[in-house]
Amino acid sequence: MFCRNQTARATVARGSALEMEIRRGKFRKSLFTDTSQDSDIQKKIDHEIRMRDGACKLLAACSQRDQALEAAKSLQTCSTRIMAYMSELQRMKEAQVMQNIPRRSSDVGPMDDRLPCKGKVAISDLRIPLMWKDTEYFKNKGELHRCAVFCLLHLGGEIFDTDMVIVDRTLTDICFDNPIIFSDAGPGFQLHVELYSCCFEEDYSTGSTPRKLASKLSSSLGRSAGKKLRAAMETGPGSPVSNGGASPLLLPVPSVQGPKYHLLAHTTLSLSHVQDSFRTHDLTISGNEECSYWLPLYGSMCCRLAAQPNCMTQRMMSGWLKVRQCGGDPQSWSKVFAVLQGTSLFCYHRQEDVETNIEPVFTIGINKETRIRASEKDPHSKAQNICISNQYGGEEVTHTLTTESREDTHRWMEAFWQHFYDMSQWRQCCDDVMKIELPSPRKPAPITPKQGSLYHEMVIESSDDLSSTVSDILAQRMQELELRSQLGTSPTWMSLFEENLPKSGAFTRQYSPRLSGLSPSSPRGRPRSPLSYQRCPQLGLLSSDASLTSDSDSHCSSPCSHRYGWPEPSSNLSLLSSSPSRLRPRTLSLDAKLSTLRGKGYGSTLQCPCQPPPSSLLAPLPMSSRPPRSPRGAQTTLSCSSSTSSNSSSNSEGNHSPESSEGVAFSRPSPVRRSLRNLRARLDPRNWLQSHV
Amino acid sequence: MSFVPGQPVTAVVERIEIQKLSQGPNLVLGFCIGGGIDQDPGQNPFSDDKADKGIYVTRVSPGGPADVAGLKIGDKIMQVNGWDMTVVTHDQARKKLTKKNEHVVRLLVTRKTLEEAVKQSMSRPGPS
Repeated sequence: MFCRNQTARATVARGSALEMEIRRGKFRKSLFTDTSQDSDIQKKIDHEIRMRDGACKLLAACSQRDQALEAAKSLQTCSTRIMAYMSELQRMKEAQVMQNIPRRSSDVGPMDDRLPCKGKVAISDLRIPLMWKDTEYFKNKGELHRCAVFCLLHLGGEIFDTDMVIVDRTLTDICFDNPIIFSDAGPGFQLHVELYSCCFEEDYSTGSTPRKLASKLSSSLGRSAGKKLRAAMETGPGSPVSNGGASPLLLPVPSVQGPKYHLLAHTTLSLSHVQDSFRTHDLTISGNEECSYWLPLYGSMCCRLAAQPNCMTQRMMSGWLKVRQCGGDPQSWSKVFAVLQGTSLFCYHRQEDVETNIEPVFTIGINKETRIRASEKDPHSKAQNICISNQYGGEEVTHTLTTESREDTHRWMEAFWQHFYDMSQWRQCCDDVMKIELPSPRKPAPITPKQGSLYHEMVIESSDDLSSTVSDILAQRMQELELRSQLGTSPTWMSLFEENLPKSGAFTRQYSPRLSGLSPSSPRGRPRSPLSYQRCPQLGLLSSDASLTSDSDSHCSSPCSHRYGWPEPSSNLSLLSSSPSRLRPRTLSLDAKLSTLRGKGYGSTLQCPCQPPPSSLLAPLPMSSRPPRSPRGAQTTLSCSSSTSSNSSSNSEGNHSPESSEGVAFSRPSPVRRSLRNLRARLDPRNWLQSHV
Repeated sequence: MSFVPGQPVTAVVERIEIQKLSQGPNLVLGFCIGGGIDQDPGQNPFSDDKADKGIYVTRVSPGGPADVAGLKIGDKIMQVNGWDMTVVTHDQARKKLTKKNEHVVRLLVTRKTLEEAVKQSMSRPGPS
C-alpha cells in the first residue's frame, strides 16, 4: 500500500492524490525530497521500527515474566520514539512546504533574532514516594500485589527510559537512580516525565488459558483474585490496538500479546524547576484504584534537575586583546589571550596556557551585573575600545579592551551580547556551573544468566575487574595507614580508637590483627601489622577466590564508636550501642547491661547523624544524605512488625506477637506443639518459613 | 543479589559476632530467619531480587544478643561460623545457627547499605 521512494526517501501513498499530481508533473518531486535533517530522522525512525519489531518478536518468544516485561518496556519506548520522530518529520515537512510557497514580506519575521545557546539538561535521583494504606502494608497473607514500573523521559527529540523496577507493598518509594542527560536542550525546554506501570502477576499464565476456563476460574476464585486474573487476561489478545492517530503515514502498530504498560502519572518540568539540589514536583495521576496497574502514589516526585548551558561550559569566544585597567597608567596595555567562558573572561599570557591549565594572568568577571559598552573612538588607536565595568564590593572596576581591528571589536561585542542574552535566557543556571555526573553503566537485569556477579554489583566507574580494583584501592589505603602508623602519625579516624587503646591490649588475642591487608594468597604478601585498637564492624569483601578483609568503620562513625567499652571476658558480650558515655564500667552483669541498653532505646541507633571523618574508608550512613523520605518513615521498623504479626501461624519454632515482646521474646513453645506445627508449616508449599534462633 | 549457578559470589559483608544467651536449657540468639532453597523466594519482603533464596533476618528481638551485636533486620546471612548460607535449606540454616555446643556464632552478613557505604567511600578522594 505504501511505496517508499528509495532515492528520495519520501514515503508517498500509492494511488493517493499526491502521487497522481506528481505523475502529472504538477508538483516537482524535489519539493518533497528530504534535506539531510529529514534523512537523519528517517534513519532514526527505521532504526526504531527495527527495534520495535525485535521487541515484538522477543515478547512473543519469551516465557519468563521478567523478560516479557523488559521487552514490553522496550516496545513502549520504541513506539513512543517512533511517534515523536514521525511528528518531528511531519513538522519539518510542513515547514519546508511553507517556506517554498512564496510569501509576502510582511509575513517574514525578523531575521536577526538572537537564538539562545543550547545546553545539557540532566535529571537524576528520581524518587516517587508511595503511600500504602496501613492495612495493605502490614498484611503479609496472600500474594504480593506487584507492579513493574519505569519512567519515560521526553525532551525535545530525545526520549530515554529508566530501568524497570518491580514495586510491591514492601517498598516505600520508587527510585530511579541513574542520571539521564539530554544534550542539545534550549532554555525553553519541556521535559515530560511519564510513569508507566504494568501489573506483575506470576501465578497466572495469560496466553495459555482458554477463555472459557479463565472465566470459570475467575468466577470460582475469590473476588480480588478473580479481578486480578481478569486483568492479567486483558493483556492477552483482547487488548485494543491503539494507533495514536499521529500521522497518516504511520505503519500500523503490531498488536502483541504479553504485558502492556499503562500511563500511571506524568508531569512536565522546565527551566523554572532547575536547581542544583533536590526538589519536589507534583505529579498528575491518571487511572484509579480499579485499574490493575494502580499504585498508591503520594502525588509528588523528587528529583535533581540540573542544567549546564553551553555558555557556561564551552568557550564562547577567544582571541588576542590588549587590556588596560582604568585608573592605571594610560599607556600600560597588556597583550593577553582572552577566553570568554562561563561567568568570566580569562586572560592568559600565551595561547598554549589555555590548554595546559595554567592559571590565567587575571580574570575579568562577566555576569549579570557587568556593564559593557563601547567607548568613543580613541584618537590613538584605529578601533573602538570596549569598557567592562564590574562592581567589586563598593568599588567599580573598569577594564578597557582594545583589539587589532574594527571587525574584531565588532565580533567581541557580538560575543558579549550573545553571552548576556544567553545568561538572561538561562537565568539561574548561569550563576554557577551545575555539576552533572555521568551516568554509571546500567545495572544488568538481575535474572539474566549471562551476568557475572551474583549480588548487587558495586559500580566503580571505568573498571571491569571489580574485585581487583576494590582490593587495589583498599590495599592502597592500608598501605598508607601502615606507613602512617609507622611514622607515628595516625589518620584522623584513629583518634576514635585512641581512648580505648590502653584497655584493649588484653583483647587482641580474640581478633586477628586489624589490618590484615590482602589475603595470604595475594602476591603482595603484606605483613600483618599488630595494631591493637578496638574491634569495629569490619567491612570486608567476600569473594570466592580471595577473601579480602580490611577494617573500616561502618555506619555510625566518629562519636558513636566510643561505645566500644570492652567488658570483662566473663560477661562475653560485645556492645554496639551508641551511648554517649565513654566511661562504661567494665564489670556490669549481663542483665544490667541489657536493661541499660534497652532503656536507651534501639530505634535511635539507626539514625545517628554522624559526621564522617574526611579520610579513607569511613563512610557515612547513607540515610543522612538522602533526600526527603516518604511519610511512611523507616522501612525496616514497619516490615519488622509486619512479618511478626502475620507469620505467627507459620513459624516453625517460637510464636512471637509484637505485644508479648520483651519478656516472652526468648521463650519457646513446648516440644509437642512445636513438632506438629513444624510439620504442618513445612508441608505447606505456600509459606515462607521463618524460624526463631 | 541473585544467585547464578557457576558464577562466583561477590558481596560487601560485615562480620557480626553474636554471643548466645542461655535461657534455661536453650541457647538463644534473638532473631528470626527466613528463606532457604526450599522456600518460596517471592514472599521474601527483604530481598531486592525476588529470586534470591538466601537466608534473611526477618526479625531481631530488641535487646537480644543479635541486636546487641549489630544484626539488623533485612540482613542477608552469607556465612555462619564458616558454613555457607547462600545455598542451604531453611532447616539446614536453622541447624547451623542453633548448635548446642557452640556459644558464639560468627556471621557474615550483607545489606545494601554496606555496598553504598563502600561506594561512597570509594568515590571520595583518598586521605590527604
